[in-house]
Amino acid sequence: MKNLQNTFRLLLILSLSLTAEQLYEGLNEEQLQRLTYLSDNIRCPKCTYGNISSSNAPISKDLKEEIAELIIVGYSDQEIFNLMEDRYGEYVILKTDPSKNRSLFIIPLIVLLISILLISTYTIKKSK
Amino acid sequence: MVTRFFTVVVLVLLITMLGIFSYSLNQKSAQLELIKTQEGKQLAIGKEIYDLEGKKIEKEFLTDGKVLLNVWASWCITCLVEHPFLKSITATKDVKLVGINYKDQINNAQNYLEKNGDPYVLSIYDLSGDFSLKLGVTGAPETFLIIDGEIVSHRIGEVNIDVWNEKFAKYF
Amino acid sequence: MCAVLLICCSYLSYQFLTDNFSFVYVFENSNKFLPTFYKFSAFWSAHEGSFLLMILIMTLSMAFNNFFFWEKKWLPLSNATIAFITFFYLIFLIFTSNPFLTFDVMPKNGTDLNPLLQDPLLVIHPPVLFSGYVFYAITFSLVIAGMFKGFEQALFKNLKLWAGISWFTLTLGILLGSIWAYYELGWGGYWFWDPVENVALLPWLAGTAFTHSLVFSRNKILLSWMVFLGISVFLLSILGSFIVRSGILNSVHSFASDPSRGVFLLSLFALFSFASIALFFSRSVFLQSDWPKFLSKQYLLVLNNLVLLVILLIVFLGTLYPIATEVFYGQKLSIGPDYFSQLITPLVLILICLFSVEQFPSLLREHRNVFFTSAIAITAGIIALEFLDFSPISFSLIFVLVALVIMLLRAIAEFFKTKEVAIMHKILGHFSVVLLTFAVLFNHQYSESVDLKLKPGQSTEFADSSLEFKSIEILGKENFDTVVANFYVKDKNFQADVISEKRVYKIGGIITSETGIASFPTKDYHIVLGDRFQDGSWSIRYSINYGIMMIWASSFLLLFSMLYGTIRRYGY
Repeated sequence: MKNLQNTFRLLLILSLSLTAEQLYEGLNEEQLQRLTYLSDNIRCPKCTYGNISSSNAPISKDLKEEIAELIIVGYSDQEIFNLMEDRYGEYVILKTDPSKNRSLFIIPLIVLLISILLISTYTIKKSK
Repeated sequence: MVTRFFTVVVLVLLITMLGIFSYSLNQKSAQLELIKTQEGKQLAIGKEIYDLEGKKIEKEFLTDGKVLLNVWASWCITCLVEHPFLKSITATKDVKLVGINYKDQINNAQNYLEKNGDPYVLSIYDLSGDFSLKLGVTGAPETFLIIDGEIVSHRIGEVNIDVWNEKFAKYF
Repeated sequence: MCAVLLICCSYLSYQFLTDNFSFVYVFENSNKFLPTFYKFSAFWSAHEGSFLLMILIMTLSMAFNNFFFWEKKWLPLSNATIAFITFFYLIFLIFTSNPFLTFDVMPKNGTDLNPLLQDPLLVIHPPVLFSGYVFYAITFSLVIAGMFKGFEQALFKNLKLWAGISWFTLTLGILLGSIWAYYELGWGGYWFWDPVENVALLPWLAGTAFTHSLVFSRNKILLSWMVFLGISVFLLSILGSFIVRSGILNSVHSFASDPSRGVFLLSLFALFSFASIALFFSRSVFLQSDWPKFLSKQYLLVLNNLVLLVILLIVFLGTLYPIATEVFYGQKLSIGPDYFSQLITPLVLILICLFSVEQFPSLLREHRNVFFTSAIAITAGIIALEFLDFSPISFSLIFVLVALVIMLLRAIAEFFKTKEVAIMHKILGHFSVVLLTFAVLFNHQYSESVDLKLKPGQSTEFADSSLEFKSIEILGKENFDTVVANFYVKDKNFQADVISEKRVYKIGGIITSETGIASFPTKDYHIVLGDRFQDGSWSIRYSINYGIMMIWASSFLLLFSMLYGTIRRYGY
């Protein structure tokens, strides 16, 4: 029984304080969508893997609330990404920017096209 | 013939990859954290801050001279492990240790300090975690060394004698 | 050799079961209060023990192979290869990852087994996955044997059996991991394109290409291609081991500061890759075989393999790129799931195109030009759509649906024609892949979630369903205490009671959230219990995930067709 009491005390300790932005009451439909998009693309700084959307860590919830506040204040998506990147490093941004990582996108495409071309021409030549 | 050429290409790619891995062995810098530390940033204090007795804390208190900020909480087990070291360091060295009581209820925090000792000059009351979040805290325990308002050293995790020697000792 | 390993493993298991904490490995992974079932599984919960388990399975499989494979011609070389591999693995184990290290003083109790690992699914997932890798080592040894002694029908028969078993096991292993991630980690997803996951996917992709290239063994076409794939699967699984176990994923620095394990694994990988590539290079003359005709079935297979390998390349690049950037720029980068799904989806669609077309070989021969132009058109269209970002998912969904219908019709047509489905496993297998793709796209497009704040007794409505928060209670169990929240979910067709928990583990104080999931054929309701507010209400994350059951169903269908196909083929 003592253990259970301790557990409950532990949970009370973890209780959150009530502020107006809890659970995003101040956001409209479009803003909620932006929140989802942003939280899906920001990594939880304390977890092995996962974005702040799906993680249960306190820091994830805090970050999500902060982003909600930033959206209301009028920050754009890119500004919010920049703020997070500035604070935690590039590691925390899950979105891969094609303009900065061109090779990641170009290499598979080139390999695909060239190999299909090579194989096809070789096959046609052999068939003759 | 085709197969041999192909094999050579594969071999080259393989050697490149192995090269990258082997080269990485040379990187023995101290930074083991995935998340960037806040080192080099200025301490930003937005809203007003209060200590555990409810007294207001002036900005200058944190931005003048050398301040060691330690994030702790009564529910944080690793903080309890770190606590004796904090007590010993404040007893033996001239360290202005200021606590940030992170997401904790006042009476639990005060009970913790009564029970385990209070090495802090004072502790900032941060129930919402907002102050810590803006500072760049991701959890407890964490420790920041602030000199004249600039974060010169930041440790994510507990502080023990090895961490102290590596990250903080040279400033004292 | 097998017997010795069996003794070693039993000895280690015994230490776990009797709480002998003088062994470091037992101390780190077990605890007096741990249920017995988990004490046994703690054996393979961490690096040292799991490696020992892999070696055990390898020797067991080799024994099995010797026992049942009667063709003496290839056996010695195959055994030699396995022995060679096992030898080096054992050296690695003894010198850097010994599970038998002891303390001088025996601790009273151990630190706990990570609560995440205290789950039946995660108990079977690693052994199955390791078995998959090990079986591919056997196919590798057979391929090596074939390189020297020649490839004949007898060898192919055995090779097909092992390839089928390995493929089935590896797929099952990966699937179990996915299922575990969904039900136990409870974040509503089943695949995060995390490096650890990707590293298991790489051998699987190569394995798929390999198994398919075995299909045409009868005509001895593209022999060298098949051999190369067989070698790659094995090499990729070792590379995977290196990446996961060396610590290089955490950070290049954690690898560099304690490199013993990593360097050893890397050298193992280097040793085996250079050796096998050298062998391949020298023996490639003897692997000369025919090349397929243009637009023949075999040609389509080559294209198929090509697309699979490009997917492999994408996964490979995406996984290794962060490591490379960290080495050269010092900055750690994240490649999120978006990169992978964006690039791989069109390729999967192309694959579906290819193998659907392959179902109609007669049509192919007759209307060659039509097929050719339409193929190019569709491919170009798919690639263009991706870059134009023009709601590709809905388009893909429709496309996949069409492919599904086509395959179904084909199966039915064949059934009526011959009153018996000759290659059922093939049609069934490809059909399940299409179904799986459809389910995944469906899930990605339509799933939604919301964050709520509810008091016990409150109800709310969301997306055509109603959620009632019934009650909260506190219970104590063997090694954890828990807060249990009871919910009731109701929609147009179904209703269910859902339980969501927050557990505190007694040793170590780790807090986990057990997600409550109510599963129905087309959708799953997902409830995650958050934190308690001061006014007594709780933060709750309520999600509706579409198509999850369909994903599992189609995966199991795929597994079944793999198994059936393997058994059937061996019977030939």
